[in-house]
Amino acid sequence: MKFDKTVKAFAIVAALLGATTLASSAQDVSAISGGFDVGPGGFQGNFNPLAATSGFTWLSNYLEPLVIYDAKLESIVGALASSYTVSPDQLTYTFNLADAAWHDGEAFTSADVKFTLGLAQNDKTGSVFAARLGSIAAIDTPDDKTVVITLSAPSAGFLDALTKVMQLPEHALTSVPAEELAKSAWWSTTPIGTGPFKFVKYETDQYVELAANPDYRLGKPAVDQLINRYFENPAAAISALRAGEIQFTYVDSNDVATFAGDAAFQVIEGQSYVTNYIGFNNELDLWKDVRVRQAIMHAINRDAIIESLYGGAARPANCGYVSEQLVPEGINPYGYDPEKARQLLAEAGWDQINGDKPITILTYYGTPLAANVLAAIQAMLAEVGVNIVPRVVDTPAYNAIVYADPLKPEEFPLVYAGLQNGPEPSNINIGLNEAQIPPAGSNFLHVRTPELTAALDAAMAELDPAARNGKYAEVCRVMNETLPWGTMWVASRYGVASSSLTDFVWTPAPAGGPFAAHPEAWKISK
Amino acid sequence: MFRYVSRRLLIGLGMLVALTVLTFILLQLTPGDPIDAYVDPNVSMSQAELDALRARLGLDRALPMQYLAWLGQAIQGNLGYSLQRQSEPVLGLIVARLGPTLLLMGTGLAVAIVVGISAGIISAVRSNTAADYSLSVVALLGISSPAFLTALLGLYVFSVRLKWLPSGGMLTPAASFSVADLVQHLILPAVLLSIGHAAMIMRYMRSSLLEVLNQDYVRTARAKGVREFWVITKHAVRNALLPVVTLIGSTIGLAIGGAIFIESVFNWPGMGLLLVNAVEVRDYPVIMAATLVVGAFVIVVNILTDLTYLVIDPRIKVS
Repeated sequence: MKFDKTVKAFAIVAALLGATTLASSAQDVSAISGGFDVGPGGFQGNFNPLAATSGFTWLSNYLEPLVIYDAKLESIVGALASSYTVSPDQLTYTFNLADAAWHDGEAFTSADVKFTLGLAQNDKTGSVFAARLGSIAAIDTPDDKTVVITLSAPSAGFLDALTKVMQLPEHALTSVPAEELAKSAWWSTTPIGTGPFKFVKYETDQYVELAANPDYRLGKPAVDQLINRYFENPAAAISALRAGEIQFTYVDSNDVATFAGDAAFQVIEGQSYVTNYIGFNNELDLWKDVRVRQAIMHAINRDAIIESLYGGAARPANCGYVSEQLVPEGINPYGYDPEKARQLLAEAGWDQINGDKPITILTYYGTPLAANVLAAIQAMLAEVGVNIVPRVVDTPAYNAIVYADPLKPEEFPLVYAGLQNGPEPSNINIGLNEAQIPPAGSNFLHVRTPELTAALDAAMAELDPAARNGKYAEVCRVMNETLPWGTMWVASRYGVASSSLTDFVWTPAPAGGPFAAHPEAWKISK
Repeated sequence: MFRYVSRRLLIGLGMLVALTVLTFILLQLTPGDPIDAYVDPNVSMSQAELDALRARLGLDRALPMQYLAWLGQAIQGNLGYSLQRQSEPVLGLIVARLGPTLLLMGTGLAVAIVVGISAGIISAVRSNTAADYSLSVVALLGISSPAFLTALLGLYVFSVRLKWLPSGGMLTPAASFSVADLVQHLILPAVLLSIGHAAMIMRYMRSSLLEVLNQDYVRTARAKGVREFWVITKHAVRNALLPVVTLIGSTIGLAIGGAIFIESVFNWPGMGLLLVNAVEVRDYPVIMAATLVVGAFVIVVNILTDLTYLVIDPRIKVS
């Protein structure tokens, strides 16, 4: 009897296991699934665009800003603003709004824009844009389809900041007090946008489901569903891609080679817009002599590191920029020359300054690639008599050290870090301008180079778009000459998409963009 | 019995408070705070913006005030809001993770207990035979293999190459809930999780049973003509279970903390991953609450383990 019961129990378990392998999980609707928040541009589980410092790739599928970068990140085009004009003095921006509707059917109007900008300027809402929109003096709404924004002073980065301010519905949020907005469950349960897809469901830490918005002003999306799956581990995302469960994910440069030549996948490459650099702590006498900084640059074989460790997927940076229009002719390429490095160090009296005493280089880059890069740099600098010791900490610890008050410069004589340098070139001002020394900004290395500060101020004050590139080229020239940083390279970033996707657009934009990806046009073949 | 359990629970409560104080102190000693984690250093914000954020989240208050404010709210059941995901209450986050954790760990442990005890019995009864040697080698491999290695191998073989099972998650996104779908997603992580535990249980069971099989009362049972099957299952196994129960008890207690590697590889929304991620971004409310929950669970399971001894061995008395 007991044996019979045991056999029956095993039979039931076996049947259940067998049934599960046959269980159909197929969807009857067309859906594109991807790891859209995998990688540096993502922000898993964040649905409040006012508090977002990244993750805009996903948010822009159901929320839209007034203006947006094009897919190549080369220019700012209209999104919810069908067109815009800027006055010659760069103080007045006039936006003509598109004929759009919120997902609940209400019309999108200028009142929504004024409401949204008010929220974005109010840090009680959790907004991280308050300071960046601080130059707004007035917002006028002469009619439902026109918004006029007046600035108190010209701001080169104003439109760039606006690309990340997702428009929000006044009728849905006006009753929520500002200080309660950050904690509101609205963001992750029933957000309303104007985008091609509508928010359906958030399964905690698993996925977000969007459904096509049939009334989208640019046309009904080609697919019925868009699903953003969360992955803690990039390897898990790649496995899901290879298993056919998702059609897109970000991949590290290390993993790209495994997809090369595979017809089932398309590799998408783009510039990271992050300049990796060795930062010299200007509060220490170690780096006062420019010959020492020049020696560091000549001692590191950047071409070899790019070739062997990045697989060629990076461009050497001889200043903060690598885009051709921002790099003038004739700047010093700081080619690999260890003999010259030794000579420069000898001239500067390196043996008296420091000799072979260990120098900590602090970094928050904890990937195997970064470890190999630092090991290579350590070996190359050791050859010329500079003894660096990498110290890897996580991001909070890194920020706590470099922004410590009072500052302890001996804890970070060098850093290996990165700073966004585009698509808006003024992004590096916060890290190099003397006026941006903390608490004002992020110039935690205390760079005090009057010529560089003047060049940055001049570039940011330039009102003529045609002349701006020339001003930033001058910033590049000064950076190259004075070496506030030892600029290393700008690496590429990658995404891999299934070949079953057509008209799919993705750009490895900093913070995830946003950029005009036109998700309503994405298609998937079965 | 009642007095014993009540006394243990009271002591446990004191330990929990001490645990939260210790956790809070350790968090303050750790470099960086939630604001330092908030922003990608590649995309800088001004220090003034960060300071405003710090003030809004109450992180500029004196440390004792921060702890007491948290404790006062925690006693009332309000564990606050996640600092990173500010629209998510911490209690909701924890509750959402508890179920999947118990499901994964429970299933994994159940498989481990059944397989481990069975294999341990076979190995002990057939000691020094090919079966014993084979099972011992398998157990050694199971104990020695790092969890992340077995997880990645299992994922690669069964999901990527064979496509027999899903690569991760708890349910098929956007599909209607079904038990079959849940089980399909559960099989691979649960079985891989059970490997290490089953190996340990098997080793404990084998050595404990070998010791018991040499006892006089077992010899007596055989001499009386009791069938070998009943000698093993009725007389020997029960007496050999005590050390195994201790092992299982301590494993269950720690199980609520989740299996970080398995959860990471299979994207299983468990407590382990929640806690690790919270530490990475210094999400103080989540860390405090998760530590509290794990601590409470360990205390309760330890009490239950002690009570289980009374059932298994009537000679043990509560004094």
